[in-house]
Amino acid sequence: MKIKQKSDRQIGWHIFLIIIVYLMLIPIVFALSNSFKTTQDAYNTVFEIIPRNPTLENYIHVFQKLPFAKITLNTFLIAATVTIFKTLTSIFAAYSLVYFDYKGKAFLYFMMLSTMFIPFTVTMIPNYLLISQIGLRDNIWGVALPQLADVLGIFLLRQSMRGIPKSLIEVAKLDKIGHMKIMRDIILPLVRPSVISTGIIFFINSWNEYVWPVLILKTKENYTLSLALQMYISSEGGTDFTIAMAVSVMTMIIPLTLYIIFQRYIINTFAMSGIKG
Amino acid sequence: MLKTEKKQAVLGYIFLIPSLVMFTVFMFYPMFYTLYLSFFKWNMIKPVKEFVGLANYVSVLSDPNTWKIFGNTLLYIVILLVFNFIVPYVLSFILSNIVKKGHGFYKSAFFLPSVISLVVGSMLYVWILNPISGPVAIIAKHFGITMPFWSKTQGWVIAVLCIITTWKSFGYNFIIILAGVSGVSQEVIEAARLDNIPMWKIFKDIVLPMSSATGIYVFITTIVQGMQYVFTPIKVITQGGPNYASSNMIYMSYHEAFTLYSTGTSSAVSVMTMALFIILLILEFKFVEKGVYYEN
Repeated sequence: MKIKQKSDRQIGWHIFLIIIVYLMLIPIVFALSNSFKTTQDAYNTVFEIIPRNPTLENYIHVFQKLPFAKITLNTFLIAATVTIFKTLTSIFAAYSLVYFDYKGKAFLYFMMLSTMFIPFTVTMIPNYLLISQIGLRDNIWGVALPQLADVLGIFLLRQSMRGIPKSLIEVAKLDKIGHMKIMRDIILPLVRPSVISTGIIFFINSWNEYVWPVLILKTKENYTLSLALQMYISSEGGTDFTIAMAVSVMTMIIPLTLYIIFQRYIINTFAMSGIKG
Repeated sequence: MLKTEKKQAVLGYIFLIPSLVMFTVFMFYPMFYTLYLSFFKWNMIKPVKEFVGLANYVSVLSDPNTWKIFGNTLLYIVILLVFNFIVPYVLSFILSNIVKKGHGFYKSAFFLPSVISLVVGSMLYVWILNPISGPVAIIAKHFGITMPFWSKTQGWVIAVLCIITTWKSFGYNFIIILAGVSGVSQEVIEAARLDNIPMWKIFKDIVLPMSSATGIYVFITTIVQGMQYVFTPIKVITQGGPNYASSNMIYMSYHEAFTLYSTGTSSAVSVMTMALFIILLILEFKFVEKGVYYEN
């Protein structure tokens, strides 16, 4: 009897949790399903998940109306550059913080960490002026540059490098193996999951970046996906409902795919980030 | 030996230099430059900046709209703390101590919206919560409830923008808190359960204090990130309206700088925002130093 009651209660909790999952995921399903409907169907059958008359019209419209391939390419180029650069600099910085001893190390790390507490509005005007001065306004590289200052990767990789026994490095040092080689052949293979998820997180964050593109980019040819999408939003909703959903789907499809493939890595890396040591 | 150690130290600096250069150019230098700009009257174009002392701060603080925006900022913080800190805390306790199966699934599902851009989130919710033709409005109508025109209604507008932001950051906070809560020793909890101590008491007296280091960290990031995250829905949906009812300090800085071209006022607001964040940072260190229980 007692056991039965307990399992009933378990089911109750699962129902509760599944309702939350439903609320979290339904907006995505909503966008996907309506992006394949005709405008007419979308208004009449807003609750039906499977479109009655599936159509690619909305997607075709977007490609005709906007330089969409170029916009996607811009977003990709920015995100890829930022990811490669930041992952590399973060690996070196984290390695330096964990495996070297030098004056001011703790202070430098503290300074870098404290940048998490600098609101973007504090750096916005000077960086905007700087990007304008070096002629990168309305240029995708002007969007990428300010994103390179980011402590998140250093923090995450430092955490996971600290988990590796120091003795491993000591042995290598005694064998007179250089630091570059230690990093490449010993450390990197061991922290590979963290490096991968840090890279993916960088890529997704940059892909979704909105503040810099909106300040820097002016012409449609240079837009990123966030900006293209923004044109379809107004507080009243506007009229291009199904097209708006198609643009939404195209903006989120890459981050979602990456997440679905690498979810274990990403979740574990973030879970680790709260536990400091 | 000493010589190689010195060489080592140099290599350590070299490894750090690329990051340090980026931080200096795009974070530290701009920070001081903004502080500098907050004492001048300028519009980003004029060749000369006019020194005005503290006048920008005085004018910001004596503008009644500023106080409205401070109030909004506080309201945003309170709502986001409930949705993004308290709810995930309770939920992670339920998941790690009561529910036995499906942990992986729930974690993945809760986290999923966190990888989607806030612009997409804003777009989806504008349609889902459209007061006339949106699905929520249609369902509400069946129950005889009329959806308010939230984007034009004081109070409601902040609530809805918080929902959008929560959709994005809930899973992220949840994962971090869950790691902290799962780190609490199961033996202690089991012992308490054997003594028939009610679950809410176990949460309050055991789990909460023992996961407090993670808790404080998430509490503070919820405020710091939340204030900046809501910028996107504000910018794309309401532009701070109606009549500043949805603006917060972050949006105010942006608006002053890039709509009104008043770098002085914008910088003054930014500096005040940063002062608020620095206070939070100090609080975090105070708490941590006081020896809050540190898991692991």
